[in-house]
Amino acid sequence: MAENNRILTVSHLVKNFGTHEVLRDIDFTVDKKDVISIIGASGSGKSTLLRCINLLETPTGGHIYYHDKDITDAKMDIYGYREKVGMVFQNFNLFHNLSVLENCMVGPIKVKKQKKDRARELAMTFLNKVGMDQYINAKPRQLSGGQQQRVAIARALAMEPEVLLFDEPTSALDPQMVGEVLNVMSTLASEGMTMLIVTHEMAFARDISSHVVFMADGVIEEEGSSEDIFVHPQKDKTKEFLSRFRNL
Amino acid sequence: MISNMSFFERIIYLLQNYGVSYMKGAGTTLVIAIVSTFIGCVIGFAVGIVQTIPLDEKRDSLLKRVVIRAIKVILRCYVELFRGTPMIVQAVFIYYGAAQLFNITLGMWQSAFLVVSINTGAYMAESVRGGIISVDPGQMEGAKAIGMTHFQAMINVIMPQAFRNIIPQIGNNFIINIKDTSVLSIISIVDLFFVHKSVAGALYTYFESATIVMAIYLCMTVISSKLLNLWEKFLDGSENFELVDNMDIGNQMNKAKRKGGR
Ligand SMILES: Nc1ncnc2c1ncn2[C@@H]1O[C@H](COP(=O)(O)OP(=O)(O)OP(=O)(O)O)[C@@H](O)[C@H]1O
Ligand SMILES: [Mg+2]
Repeated sequence: MAENNRILTVSHLVKNFGTHEVLRDIDFTVDKKDVISIIGASGSGKSTLLRCINLLETPTGGHIYYHDKDITDAKMDIYGYREKVGMVFQNFNLFHNLSVLENCMVGPIKVKKQKKDRARELAMTFLNKVGMDQYINAKPRQLSGGQQQRVAIARALAMEPEVLLFDEPTSALDPQMVGEVLNVMSTLASEGMTMLIVTHEMAFARDISSHVVFMADGVIEEEGSSEDIFVHPQKDKTKEFLSRFRNL
Repeated sequence: MISNMSFFERIIYLLQNYGVSYMKGAGTTLVIAIVSTFIGCVIGFAVGIVQTIPLDEKRDSLLKRVVIRAIKVILRCYVELFRGTPMIVQAVFIYYGAAQLFNITLGMWQSAFLVVSINTGAYMAESVRGGIISVDPGQMEGAKAIGMTHFQAMINVIMPQAFRNIIPQIGNNFIINIKDTSVLSIISIVDLFFVHKSVAGALYTYFESATIVMAIYLCMTVISSKLLNLWEKFLDGSENFELVDNMDIGNQMNKAKRKGGR
């Protein structure tokens, strides 16, 4: 049954900053192996949606269910939940005081209470996957943006999450480094990682997504398969937004 | 006879006859400064860390929120009180006041360590708080995103980075403490300044004694700041890193070279 595959259910999600309604009645679901791209104009609330999903922002209203547990419930163990929902940030947010390897080990050791050897093994596996295993002794500030972002992905993977959230993972990168990060993400997608990706890389979103969500002014304006949105968009706002991107 | 001497002769005379006293005074000054800076830092870190505990309206219980708020207010008062009044007055207040108000008799040494420590603590608390909030908020978010609690994030990510920013402040406070222990002579602590007052007063050699004492203070502070700089450099570690050769490519190439050479 499809229900068993369901990881997240976002239901009537509302987020206000003061009187500013940033998210209004958002509904959507994430199933195992989904690759969902969230696109939309700047300020439409994409980042806020992702941040609400891993509770970096507290939703003002509505519910978010992780399997059948309501994580917006005040009694929910948000730390255990966040282990399962990884996040990759626009600005990488690698720990500056730790080396590449330590960045990927600190979560498994301190949060998941794993043995050092096991954590190291795991970290090396994922650093290898993102092609950063040679750089384990480097500090984040010694790496290029693309390299930092790949380490950040490895750090998130080392927690063995069920879903990975990406908030514009390539927006802070020089153009020549965008490709290396997108390649890693494509590999993850093809291996069946469940991903929720906020991006302005339209061609990438079109090619990688199993589902595309177009947001405008805090609501989901239109959603559907990659083809539905990029080839046969129905709403005017969607058409207008996509017309800004050439080469699609 | 000392009145017939030249300036330099007087200095040499003072050093010959009171050198040991000066050194003892300097030793006292250093001990108070070192111990009090250390205790002050411990206080400062504790206060600064507590002051930056975030409160979650939704998830923290009412009791927890009320208690932490109250503690924060008390700590705020502590910081304001000790930053806002002169240490010389605090010393008198504690040395003479503690006995009268709370019926505890503090010796002058206890009073000295206490005053300088809590004074340093008040200044350090602000430095620590500043050091913590100056760390990029993205660091805390990165830590939260992998499931760390506020406390785990502070220990593993935030404090190590804040600490680096705070070290210059520790050095600053230490140097200030070396100089400011001089006010403790008001509660009869025989520090370097007390020695100066006694010697100069007895022999009427204010200028010469002050010259000696200034030189000693300057030596202590300059050497301290040099040592602190070295410590900072040490903590910053190396600027370079080495690539790790997982595939053993380097060795294979060496072998190939050796073969080719023969
Ligand atoms: N902490 C905050 N306080 C107040 N307003 C906020 C806050 N964070 C976001 N907003 C507002 O919420 C709206 C949506 O912001 P959000 O960052 O989610 O947009 P976005 O779709 O991610 O845009 P972009 O593509 O530029 O990243 C914006 O108008 C923004 O000003
Ligand atoms: Mg955004």
